Amino acid sequence: MAIIEVDHVSKEFRLGTITSLKDSVLNGLRRIRGQPATQRARFKALDDVDFTIEQGEVVGVIGHNGAGKSTLLKLLANISKPTAGRLAVRGKVAPLIEVGAGLVPELTGRENVFLNATILGIPKRVIRDKFDEIVAFAELEEFIDTPIKRYSSGMKVRLGFSIATSIDAEILVIDEVLAVGDLAFQRKCFDRMEDLIKGHGRTVLFVSHNIRQVERLCSRVILLERGKVAADGPALETAELFYRRSNEKVQDYHSGAMGAKKNVTSSGEIEVLEIDVLDAGHHATDTIPSGGELRVRVRLRVNQPLGRPEIVVGTHTTDFFYLSASSTATLEDRPDLDVGVHEIEYIVPSYPLVAGVYCIRLAVFDQYRRKVFAGEALKMFTVASSAIELREAPLRRLDLPTHWRIAGRLYTGTSAPEVCAGALS
Amino acid sequence: MIALVRELYNFRELVAALAWRNITVRYKQAYLGIAWAIIRPLSLMLIFTLVKSIVGIDSGSIPYPILTFAALMPWIFFQDSASEGTGSVVTNASLVRKIYFPREVFPLTTMASKLIELAINFGILGLLMAWYGMMPTIHALWVPVILLYTVLVALGVALVGAAINVYYRDIGAALPVALSMLMYASPVIYPLQLVRDKLLVEQAAGEWSRLLYVIYTINPLAGIIDGFQNALLRGLPPDLMSMLPGMIATLLLLPLSYRFFKRAEAYFADVI
Repeated sequence: MAIIEVDHVSKEFRLGTITSLKDSVLNGLRRIRGQPATQRARFKALDDVDFTIEQGEVVGVIGHNGAGKSTLLKLLANISKPTAGRLAVRGKVAPLIEVGAGLVPELTGRENVFLNATILGIPKRVIRDKFDEIVAFAELEEFIDTPIKRYSSGMKVRLGFSIATSIDAEILVIDEVLAVGDLAFQRKCFDRMEDLIKGHGRTVLFVSHNIRQVERLCSRVILLERGKVAADGPALETAELFYRRSNEKVQDYHSGAMGAKKNVTSSGEIEVLEIDVLDAGHHATDTIPSGGELRVRVRLRVNQPLGRPEIVVGTHTTDFFYLSASSTATLEDRPDLDVGVHEIEYIVPSYPLVAGVYCIRLAVFDQYRRKVFAGEALKMFTVASSAIELREAPLRRLDLPTHWRIAGRLYTGTSAPEVCAGALS
Repeated sequence: MIALVRELYNFRELVAALAWRNITVRYKQAYLGIAWAIIRPLSLMLIFTLVKSIVGIDSGSIPYPILTFAALMPWIFFQDSASEGTGSVVTNASLVRKIYFPREVFPLTTMASKLIELAINFGILGLLMAWYGMMPTIHALWVPVILLYTVLVALGVALVGAAINVYYRDIGAALPVALSMLMYASPVIYPLQLVRDKLLVEQAAGEWSRLLYVIYTINPLAGIIDGFQNALLRGLPPDLMSMLPGMIATLLLLPLSYRFFKRAEAYFADVI
């Protein structure tokens, strides 16, 4: 029998605030006069969600903000009740939803460990056994007898995390926000969560925005979208779908709101007319294969002649992390640009980044390195997944041509798709 | 009701831990610490004694200060349990939103922490009794029963109050007002004997006297306070006659109050 059964569950919230006396009186008057009373609009946080989880499954839940992930967790943790449908959880649930809920500032670290653990339903004797471990994990040995109102915020969340994850139950409901603190401690948190998830054959429901982590930990992933189950299946497929949707969303946003407001500074001497990514047949495209050629064509109009201008074309991620850039400054005899329309092509024979959405930036300087034009996110393009990435988690950012030497024999590799094709034949 | 008791047993560690938190947090950074728990009844006792010396209240064979202190103990316990119990769910909103356990743990926790404060006052009562040379009799064994009954009465108020308070905070503001009025309708400043004499002996309200007395004792605190004084100070068993109306009211209302709370509980996290 399934250990978690979610049977056509919906959860509605009413928008706005609870009716006050004034509203009630006004509505009463309206009813007396036969007018319709105002009703608060409803919002479906979960809409007919239906799935079951078997014992021992590790299931990831992903989705955009507001997709209903937290609402689902709250229902499973019994904090809130569904508006419609039925929810059955067979076994003790340990909801690791929030770090440090119930920590009391006035009490010392030691007192809080016992109190918080009791609130989380961990028996006292278990805590007594685990106390030293909890404190050591939180790295708070020195401060354990200080009231936690004197703690830094990092110390508080460390303590909270350490207590919360000492819980032992058949079903773990984990929210990603659990990874807290500085980089080193986050690493520890992730390791601890992975230990919790992977060992002991527990059933785990894991909510996260860190899709890579979900892919690595979970065998099955449920994608929520606006309160509905958009996909439910093997981790990789669902994650791929989510990436595709996310990228679409980013592109929509850029072509919409951002389109008008690109990050551009220009002296007016040149105008960029068009930037295109070209495919093998030199036609404009939006998508190139991973490891394939990236050819960017820039058409610009020069209003004042520029002697030996320096042109920089580069790529960056949608969050403006600069990836590649090349400048014409290193070219021996770069040409002058006269007044008129010019076409410039930037060609990377093998663009080595894995699937995702990337953007193009462009800068033009005159020969004295005065900035004439600079723009980011001028054009977006997608790098499609290679065959190998569809099959297993792309645990990498770069897709580089590779050679191997195994047992004395040289395998002159190529980029990933062809290796994969070779393996298939 | 049985479910409530079983729950109380299952979550006894939690109730104990939260009650201990309430107490420590309240008194931790106070120089006088838990002594504050006795300052309120003591100061009220002094004021009432002062008032009594002006208006003259017949306290029978028992010295007035100790009589009123023995009235203030159950009264303050009830008043604080009911009003803080009403606010208890909202006060713990962060827990309600994040962690599940049966929500009646919160009012129960309030009762538990108030019982601890009450226990401290027993020490003061003991000193007062020694001062006036009074010895407790076998009837003092009624005290735990009376206190349990007081807890049930306070729970009856707190459960329904806490549930409504989650939706409408009015109740949290209104209850202290109502309770301070109820104090004058309870035999705190004056002994119940005065009411009994007026209505049952003198028949002050004519043929309505008997009915008025029953109405007066529907307030469970009337019977509780009188019973408490009887058991500890007068060496008598509690007067069942004056407790019965209040008991019937409690037995009828407590299950309703509990059911109301459990119904509302499902949506606490959504509206709190």
